[in-house]
Amino acid sequence: MLMSMDKELLQIIGVTLRMSFFSTLISCLLGMPLGVLLGKSSFKGKGTIIKLTGTFMGLPPVVAGLIVYMLFSKNGILGSLDILFTVEVMVIAQCMLIVPVVINLTHSITSVNSACLIETAKGLNFSKGKTAILMLTENKTALFSVVLSAFGRSIAEVGAVSLVGGNIQWKTRVMTTAIMLETNKGNFSFALALGIILLLISFTVNIIASFAVKEDKQ
Amino acid sequence: MIKLQNIKKIYGERTVLNIDGLSFTKGETVAIVGPNGSGKSTLLKIIAGVIKSDEGTVETNSRMYYLPQQNIPFRKSVRKNILISMENADDKEIRCNEILAELGLANLADKNAKGLSGGECQRLALGRVLINEGDFLVLDEPSSAADIEGTEMIENAIRKYKDKTGCGVIMTTHSPVQALKLAERVIMLCDGKIVEDGRPEELLINPKTQWGKKFISKWKL
Ligand SMILES: Nc1ncnc2c1ncn2[C@@H]1O[C@H](COP(=O)(O)OP(=O)(O)OP(=O)(O)O)[C@@H](O)[C@H]1O
Ligand SMILES: [Mg+2]
Repeated sequence: MLMSMDKELLQIIGVTLRMSFFSTLISCLLGMPLGVLLGKSSFKGKGTIIKLTGTFMGLPPVVAGLIVYMLFSKNGILGSLDILFTVEVMVIAQCMLIVPVVINLTHSITSVNSACLIETAKGLNFSKGKTAILMLTENKTALFSVVLSAFGRSIAEVGAVSLVGGNIQWKTRVMTTAIMLETNKGNFSFALALGIILLLISFTVNIIASFAVKEDKQ
Repeated sequence: MIKLQNIKKIYGERTVLNIDGLSFTKGETVAIVGPNGSGKSTLLKIIAGVIKSDEGTVETNSRMYYLPQQNIPFRKSVRKNILISMENADDKEIRCNEILAELGLANLADKNAKGLSGGECQRLALGRVLINEGDFLVLDEPSSAADIEGTEMIENAIRKYKDKTGCGVIMTTHSPVQALKLAERVIMLCDGKIVEDGRPEELLINPKTQWGKKFISKWKL
């Protein structure tokens, strides 16, 4: 049965991967430097920011979807961009969900040894940039699992992407929204098959990631 | 030249460092001694600019290199630990090999530094500092984890560096032997205050203050 639909299926997998890849990439590019910065510096309100990121980690995906939907709908502030029901807006909604996770996890990872590391770096007269890079590379293994968590949240998420993406065939349909649809239609075995493919993709990504980390251990 | 004035460091309710005036000149080696918690590390951190004092000023235009008491190896090979710490140089590799040999780390050069023993790790941390040229070395217990041989390597490396560069050395130690061996000046700290400041021969044998007398009486020289 999977075979008969392979053209559409491949397209859905393609959209899923594209969306998850960009959501993960953008979230990590935004969240990791912020997380490191939070771990590095001390200022008033830092504790509040950390608690806020923790709170937003529990943001229900549909709420994130709703906010993004309102922003980008015809009458919304960003409605003129006209990108509702596209992969781009799905990525934006997902970033809203994932950035707080990345900031919070990055912060708790890098703050463990950051004081010591920063002292060492300062003692050697490292520049700020060099120190930041050092903090990232020193925590490479743990930060890799942050990337995986981000990817995992992104690929498994359904509420936000179905709201802002609209589950449009050949356009914004991803694995999770397809599973929802097939389940609603009563095609349980097909939905289950899609679920298994989703797991296989996640598994493959994890294997690739673990190789990437291992190589560096020498 | 490094000049400290009216330095105070306060944690919570406690003043852990309280120094009216203190200066160091390039070329001298100063050992800072005192019991646990007397403020030695805090003083070094303030000198090196790693933390700020709550009151007072540190005046200096000297380039300093600082070795924290708690050293951490970078998650790289021993050689790369040295190379990444080195500033612009054309003979990077040669100098790196020299310092590794000097600190007895040559045969560990390609090992991941995370796997080093405590003493090896301490020598590596010192190597990362000594690979650069500064006006002052600020070293917090540079040989606390080293065995007899390791201590000798560390002391020789510090001495050689000093002879070569003419820098000043400010170091803490719990070893009176080390203070006598390396320093021309010893400063004793107690509860964040300077209680003695003088030549090691005089100070370690005939301290001026009661507190100094009590402190050295525990040393079995
Ligand atoms: N970040 C900090 N927060 C709170 N208290 C601190 C902090 N750093 C140091 N202290 C306190 O300041 C005092 C001096 O600490 P410091 O590390 O300078 O001692 P030390 O002389 O180096 O001791 P040791 O011989 O054990 O290395 C200690 O009582 C310590 O508890
Ligand atoms: Mg100390």
